[in-house]
Amino acid sequence: MIDAGALKAEWTKFSSLRATMALSVAAVLVSGLFGWMFSNAAAAEYATLTPQERLGFNPVELGMRGIFLVQVLLAGLGALIVSTEYGSGTITASMAAVGRRGRLLAAKAGMTVLSALPVSVASIVLMFTVSQSTLAAGGAPAATPGDTTAIQLLLGGPIVLTLISLFGLTLGVLLRSTAAAVNFSVVFLLLPILSGVMPGFLQVVVRFFWPNAAPFQAMYGAENVPDLLGYGLIVAFVVVMLAAAYVRFTRKDA
Amino acid sequence: MIQLNGLTKRYGETVAVDHLTFTVQPGLVTGFLGPNGAGKSTTMRMIMGLDLPTSGTVTITGRRYHELRHPLRTIGAMLDARAVHPRRSAYKHLLYLAQSNGIPESRVGEVLELVGLADAADRPAGGFSLGMGQRLGIAAAMLGDPPVLLLDEPINGLDPEGVLWARNLMRGWGAEGRTVLVSSHLMSEMALTADRLVVIGRGRLLAEGDIADFTARGSVVVVRTPDAGHFARRLALAGAFVEPGETGELLVKGMSPPDVGRLAAAENVTLYELSIREPSLEEAFMELTRDAVEWGAAR
Repeated sequence: MIDAGALKAEWTKFSSLRATMALSVAAVLVSGLFGWMFSNAAAAEYATLTPQERLGFNPVELGMRGIFLVQVLLAGLGALIVSTEYGSGTITASMAAVGRRGRLLAAKAGMTVLSALPVSVASIVLMFTVSQSTLAAGGAPAATPGDTTAIQLLLGGPIVLTLISLFGLTLGVLLRSTAAAVNFSVVFLLLPILSGVMPGFLQVVVRFFWPNAAPFQAMYGAENVPDLLGYGLIVAFVVVMLAAAYVRFTRKDA
Repeated sequence: MIQLNGLTKRYGETVAVDHLTFTVQPGLVTGFLGPNGAGKSTTMRMIMGLDLPTSGTVTITGRRYHELRHPLRTIGAMLDARAVHPRRSAYKHLLYLAQSNGIPESRVGEVLELVGLADAADRPAGGFSLGMGQRLGIAAAMLGDPPVLLLDEPINGLDPEGVLWARNLMRGWGAEGRTVLVSSHLMSEMALTADRLVVIGRGRLLAEGDIADFTARGSVVVVRTPDAGHFARRLALAGAFVEPGETGELLVKGMSPPDVGRLAAAENVTLYELSIREPSLEEAFMELTRDAVEWGAAR
């Protein structure tokens, strides 16, 4: 399905630019940093909680809060895979070289998964390790990799982040500009954080059922959203976005 | 061979390319001429499958662009030499193009050598001069050793030595039996490079033919004689169209030099000069495209 030559070409494009490589490394480093920051704050807060409040303490959710920022970097990574081509004009050379545009888009989606998946795994594992050991060191409860919630996070997290990176790719295709794609993805992906100021019904939708909020809820082992619905929402959303990107990519002038 | 059949491109109300039908033959360099805004680049983008025609078709060696499995091995193009990522090296730029078409990596070094960029292979393309960019674009076109080549204004930005090099390169491709289509708005350049011309204006085909046809079309017989007034009347009576020249000579159209000579002998008119003046290709071009210049200066 994915043409090997076209995929190889995508890797050459990806690896020969500092921006894409630097962003990949930055996402992992930022994950470690946020893992430490949020868990440090959570551990300090834990000390002040009443025994009743301590029952609701979810070490995975609190330690992994930084995911909300890391996802933006991964969306940017996906966007860059196509938006740098529109920015520099090489998209015409790439389209002419591959011929059938569906094949080029498939190769770009393949490249997005190949770059985002390892970065996501590294980011999640590092953030988990740093945050949980920081919580433990601070005298707060911490999850261990064998916990059900931890397993959900370590397996589901990278997949969700990779899907968000594919969402970034589709924005790059639809908006044809790095700045526009990044701006849009930041607003779209961070909206759940701002849900507190929204009126009742909207707040519930955005906080729990937004395409990225829902799978995060499932990842954290929160009870608000059924796991299947959480993961199903992001999968369905990315499929729809990919279909829209395919139509735009194949039916419009380069 | 490239075949265009009723190729049309509209942007809303504007018709950029209007029912273009012509064939680019192998073994020749075909000049694709027209004033700026005539639709040359849009036509070339449609040939390359980048812009989708509103109607009509274009095929390369009998197939549509998206039907080509490894397009660069069939058709190489330089449409916009600046379409290179400024931070990527020339080598990597060509490498990914080669990889996408299953072309061996060794070919990248070869074409860089051919265009004289071997020493600049690892430098970011953003630092290239206009001329080096053109050379990189030509290298990309040659990557798949394609039988069909398409170049949009390849001479722009080249120094005189580069112009000569590009001209010889294109003529060499034609001699090797390849199909070569080169666009330009400079008639004088095409006079030296092309075997055939396709001239368009406002998206329409204005003329098509061998270079010689273009100059022959407007040729004039120049006659210099002491009896200019008398002989002019005799020529007009014989059916020729006569105009006075700037220095007393007669400019005769519609009669061949032998017939003019015979008439002079019959009339006992002394001739100081009897010659053919072919208009420059530039003049022929201006004549053809006069009505099709979109942004012409006020006349």
